[in-house]
Amino acid sequence: MSLPALPLPDEDRQPFGPPPEYAALRTAPRLTRVTCPTGLDAWLVSDYAGVREVLGDGRRFSTRPGQAAHVLAAFRGPDSPVEGGFSQLDGPEHIRIRRNFAPQVSNPRRLAELQPLVEQITDEAVTRMLGSPQPFPLHSQFSTAITTAVIAELIGVPPDRRHLLHEAATALFTTSTTPDGLRRALEPLWAYLYELVATRRARPGDDVLSRMIEHSADSERPLTDAELTQMNGALLIAGFDTTASMLTYGLVCLLNTPGQWAKLCARPELAASAAEELVRYLGVGIGLLRQATEDTAIHGQPIRAGDYVVVAVQSGNRDTALHPDADRFDVTRRPGAHLGFGHGAHACVGQQIARIELTTVLRALAERVPTLRIEVPLHEIEWKRDSVVRGPAELPVAW
Amino acid sequence: MIRVATDRDRCIGSGMCVLIAPAVFDQDPDDAVVVLLDESPPETARPAVEQAVDRCPAAVIRLLPEPADRV
Ligand code: HEM
Ligand code: SF4
Repeated sequence: MSLPALPLPDEDRQPFGPPPEYAALRTAPRLTRVTCPTGLDAWLVSDYAGVREVLGDGRRFSTRPGQAAHVLAAFRGPDSPVEGGFSQLDGPEHIRIRRNFAPQVSNPRRLAELQPLVEQITDEAVTRMLGSPQPFPLHSQFSTAITTAVIAELIGVPPDRRHLLHEAATALFTTSTTPDGLRRALEPLWAYLYELVATRRARPGDDVLSRMIEHSADSERPLTDAELTQMNGALLIAGFDTTASMLTYGLVCLLNTPGQWAKLCARPELAASAAEELVRYLGVGIGLLRQATEDTAIHGQPIRAGDYVVVAVQSGNRDTALHPDADRFDVTRRPGAHLGFGHGAHACVGQQIARIELTTVLRALAERVPTLRIEVPLHEIEWKRDSVVRGPAELPVAW
Repeated sequence: MIRVATDRDRCIGSGMCVLIAPAVFDQDPDDAVVVLLDESPPETARPAVEQAVDRCPAAVIRLLPEPADRV
């Protein structure tokens, strides 16, 4: 008997997701087994406690197959198309990499230094937008421009090389990319980063890459060139499209949920809670994949070693166990321990940077462009269909 | 007074605890691993510490039961 298909985001039907099927799945007494777009069969976990349990236990539930191998064709084969990718490591090997990231991307003192950079990039982008003809393509010219500039500045990638990260990300996040297609698409960015590592080893600067080199130099196992390339490549690829899409998608949600944009404009200091609520409400609609490492159980359902498990993160964040009215979007709420940046050892490396970016940009728009409006009705928005990073493909706005 | 413990081996340096309860937690400037500033903070710190327990992605922080002689 063939299994039901994994319910995937369909923004035409449910613009701010998750698909309506999840309401029943979340409260069902048993887990469901589904077939994923890449052909693998998996247990589907869609309630808050279950998602949190699976993501929180890397010993029982490994990321080895790739976090999105349930939807990305490039991860279908036995070999990862991203060689040496730390995202597919578990345990101490993975923690070692995370500890080389953390001082650069999630230490409060380091983050305080980043704030002025993000503010400056944002202010310039708002000024540029206000001087542009209308309608203005917000996703490409504003959201993506800001988040690309921030991550590229952090790592020290000059403007004439930034197209490399856009091309790599498009290939990595597009569901239909083949394994070979992905290897070919990543090659130019990897080659450039290898060169950059050599340059920074010879002439260190104040950027994240130089600091990683310096920081790991006195450790027991200094980072290799391949690891540095991987880590900085991951920051560049994962760092701009996710946050840009969250901004653009977030503005659609803010402007289409009655009263929410007005509340934010009246009190721009709500930007931080609005940003957090957007990540809770809209984050990871596509879900995440894990593989059981041993015979175990989730909610009493026996799971065999080797079984795949898909966690429906967005559905988990809409569970009444997290908030009694979790299906409502509310910029004044404290979203609490939501799972929009993931949970467990693989939880988003860049989440503190993303928070700073989202908060700074929302605040700037609420203060400087309160008349912001979307120039097409909700049902005419063109959504990204073949990407794991969801949101509008473009968004024409005026003010 | 409450009692707090951390398991530094599993900390990923996410910085959530420091954002939520800076009087109780800090991060090592070198590897960003959690540093417990106060193992037995006052009762008033309980809500923030509970929130840190809930939001720590790596389940590193624990709120210990009161010692028996104090219950
Ligand atoms: C709103 C924006 C963002 C969202 C919603 C988001 C979401 C996520 C999620 C859910 C995961 C966990 C995947 C898993 O457990 O399998 C993750 C991992 C990751 N994120 Fe983000 N992210 C965002 C922004 C960023 C930024 C700005 C950066 C870089 C500066 C970044 C870099 C990474 C990296 C490198 C990982 C892999 C971590 C690991 O496997 O240990 N992300 N992200
Ligand atoms: S919240 Fe948890 S993982 Fe993050 S720094 Fe604190 S103890 Fe470490």
